[in-house]
Amino acid sequence: MIDPLRAATQIAGAGLDAQSTRLRVVSENLANAQSTGTAAGADPYQRKTVTFQGEFDRLLGASRVAVKSIGNDPTPFEVEYDPGNPAADEDGNVKMPNVNMMIEMADMREATRSYEANLQMVKQVRTMTTMMLDLLRNG
Amino acid sequence: MSPVHLFALATQHAQWASVRQAVVTGNIANANTPGYGALDIEPFSAVFNDTALTMARTAPDHFALERAGASGAAAGGWDVKNTGASVALDQELIKADEVNRAFALDTSVMRSFHRMLMASLRSGA
Repeated sequence: MIDPLRAATQIAGAGLDAQSTRLRVVSENLANAQSTGTAAGADPYQRKTVTFQGEFDRLLGASRVAVKSIGNDPTPFEVEYDPGNPAADEDGNVKMPNVNMMIEMADMREATRSYEANLQMVKQVRTMTTMMLDLLRNG
Repeated sequence: MSPVHLFALATQHAQWASVRQAVVTGNIANANTPGYGALDIEPFSAVFNDTALTMARTAPDHFALERAGASGAAAGGWDVKNTGASVALDQELIKADEVNRAFALDTSVMRSFHRMLMASLRSGA
């Protein structure tokens, strides 16, 4: 097991990484909130979801976090009547992506919050290391 | 050197604080992991109370006993327990702050005693 303070920095780094992946996926969902399919009757953009898992790191002797998978949300698509759309089927219905702005915004807020918490830990570890190093300086 | 093993004790406590910081960081990193239970380590007092003074060896035939004071405490590392509760970010940040304060106390104690020793050395010269 390495120095716990170094381990803490690495764990917080893994947390930052995981939360930024989550933010990336939220942006993808928001950017594609109106992306329909290209062919007539084709499926539109399907909302993506991120799942995390804790994984035990032998070198660190502690569990860090990693993105387990980026999956698809199986919620059914919303159907809109828009005969002029190239993605409309023979009845004039267009399948719209299953992205809900409200949910994405809430998810984004939570990801930002967790990111901040991880960043705070990095800062605190740095303060602790500085305190320890200051012992040498003032001796 | 000193009967209270002050530097050893402060080092032990700083080590304990570092381990706790790593555990709290792990909890925060896994705050959004499904099924993850918050971890915590045993309090420092639990370890400290276990360590007791032992008898000195004056002849080679005497039994070898553990050293006195707090120096034998962290030989096997600290016990990490799973509390089973889900992670609450505010609780974890409070814990991290506690750890930070404990660490600041350790380093200040070390610094002031070190300054004291240095002062006595300098005045003697």
